[in-house]
Amino acid sequence: IPEAGHKYYVQFTTEDYQSGEDAGSCLAMVLYPKTKVPPLVTIKCSDVKEPKQIQEEDNRLYQKLRHQTKPISGSNIPDSHGNIEPDMEPVWALAVAGSSYIMWEKSTENLSYFMAQVKSARQWIRKDEFIEFDYTVLLHELPTQEIISCHMRLTWLPAHPVKVKYFCTPQNQGLEEGSGAESGSAAGILHEKGANF
Amino acid sequence: DQVLYIVPETFQQVQHLQHLCNTLLLDLWEPLLPEEITTGGKLHIRVPGPLVQEVKDSLDQHMISYKVLIPDVQKLVNQNMPRERTSPEDYVYTRYHPMEEIYQWMIDIEKNNSELVTRHYLGKTTENRTIYYLQISQPSNRIKKIIWMDCGIHAREWISPAFCQWFVKEILQNYKSDPKIARFLQNLDLFVLPVFNIDGYVYSWKEDRLWRKNRSPYNNGTCYGTDLNRNFNSSWGTAGISYNCSSEIFCGPKPESEPETRALAQFFRNKSSDILCYLTIHSYGQYILTPYGSTTKPPSNSEELIDVAKEASAVLKGKYGTSYKVGPTSSILYSNSGSSRDWAHMIGIPFSYTFELRDNGTYGFILPPDQIQPTCEETM
Repeated sequence: IPEAGHKYYVQFTTEDYQSGEDAGSCLAMVLYPKTKVPPLVTIKCSDVKEPKQIQEEDNRLYQKLRHQTKPISGSNIPDSHGNIEPDMEPVWALAVAGSSYIMWEKSTENLSYFMAQVKSARQWIRKDEFIEFDYTVLLHELPTQEIISCHMRLTWLPAHPVKVKYFCTPQNQGLEEGSGAESGSAAGILHEKGANF
Repeated sequence: DQVLYIVPETFQQVQHLQHLCNTLLLDLWEPLLPEEITTGGKLHIRVPGPLVQEVKDSLDQHMISYKVLIPDVQKLVNQNMPRERTSPEDYVYTRYHPMEEIYQWMIDIEKNNSELVTRHYLGKTTENRTIYYLQISQPSNRIKKIIWMDCGIHAREWISPAFCQWFVKEILQNYKSDPKIARFLQNLDLFVLPVFNIDGYVYSWKEDRLWRKNRSPYNNGTCYGTDLNRNFNSSWGTAGISYNCSSEIFCGPKPESEPETRALAQFFRNKSSDILCYLTIHSYGQYILTPYGSTTKPPSNSEELIDVAKEASAVLKGKYGTSYKVGPTSSILYSNSGSSRDWAHMIGIPFSYTFELRDNGTYGFILPPDQIQPTCEETM
């Protein structure tokens, strides 16, 4: 859109990462204004899973996490070989949810992310009803191929969106804005085809 | 021997457990010392076989609940130990293997399939490790064209070397019984390089699971690694790269600056007229990528390249429903120059493809081992 920015329409399907079952489809409009600001997103999704079933699963997890006598903690999830202890799966899944917020804020038309690994996870038992976790997650950044380390504080209550506070640093030896400048140059050479999220 | 999992609930329980550990000299796996046992803290104790019943009785008496974490320690040890004289029939292709085991595997494969397989020297890595590839060739008086496949240019992409090993195994196990494979080998030679970036691979096992590049030192040893897939002489240094060593896409100080790159390039320059197809295996993303990455100008045989890739993608999808996207890197992925795939095509190898194996980003580089088999089967 001349003078204003770039507008994209994105249609995509989702699937349950555990079962591979279809989990609904979404239609989104993403607007990147000319000025440097996170994009405007409007999105509508269809649910395939029964909202009741989702609620039940969430509550089960919530109860389990609330009734921990000792806070859950773990590291390297998955481990080098790709294994995740069954007990730690929900911890990983929560990290994915929280990381998606970080990735949304950091993504640009030319920079995209995936969560590569949970480096560490630690639950903080709270007096109120919220579930809280402290994470270090590693994000894989494309096309720079860098691994970004983010410290993430996440709170959750069923039927509420996850709340995230975070701070990220590139994993390599103190880069200042080395990698920032680099991704700038890579982006400069990139053709502006459809964003590759 | 068994390993028990216990979470003490009261101080009395803690005391009793400490007493047990100290008097029976039990092997504490977690925590390290009896003094560190606390209420609510998780305990892993290894109990020697002869003492198992006694310990369990004592725990029952004191109302301490336990779970058997490992019912037979020796069995687990045996499963995880690389055995001295493992026959290749015992090699577990559904697990990731460290470099020492892959080296041994290559020796064993050649020994056990000597009528078909020869192991060859390609060159040396920066840290002086030897790079070998396997030649699978049916003896014949014709000169056959070559299909070359390399895996593990990027250290963290473990599913890639796993696939090369799987591929070799499949061919060797089935060439007599499968008419398609038999015909293949009548007309073509297969050259497989299971791990290209050996130093990087070793480093990803020992130090940093997410390492990508090789291990060349730069800046007086303050910075390591060139991205081997940006180091080839195909529009080197022009797109999707960094001139800064600290970047993951550092293209090196000049094209073919790295011994690994040079080793492959030299071999190809000698043999390029015989090589029909170049395949390089990466992860993740689920793509079959055609030239080029450095420019959007299509290669001369672009249509044919894409047609073949689309067919492959369709067959792949037929296996487990996995979708692989097909197209030139510069269009469907991102720009990059200096890739081995681009260079292979530029020196005249007509069919040149990059495969990005599973997955789509859910687990990314750290693909769970239960996906090794389906990934390999569908890609095969």
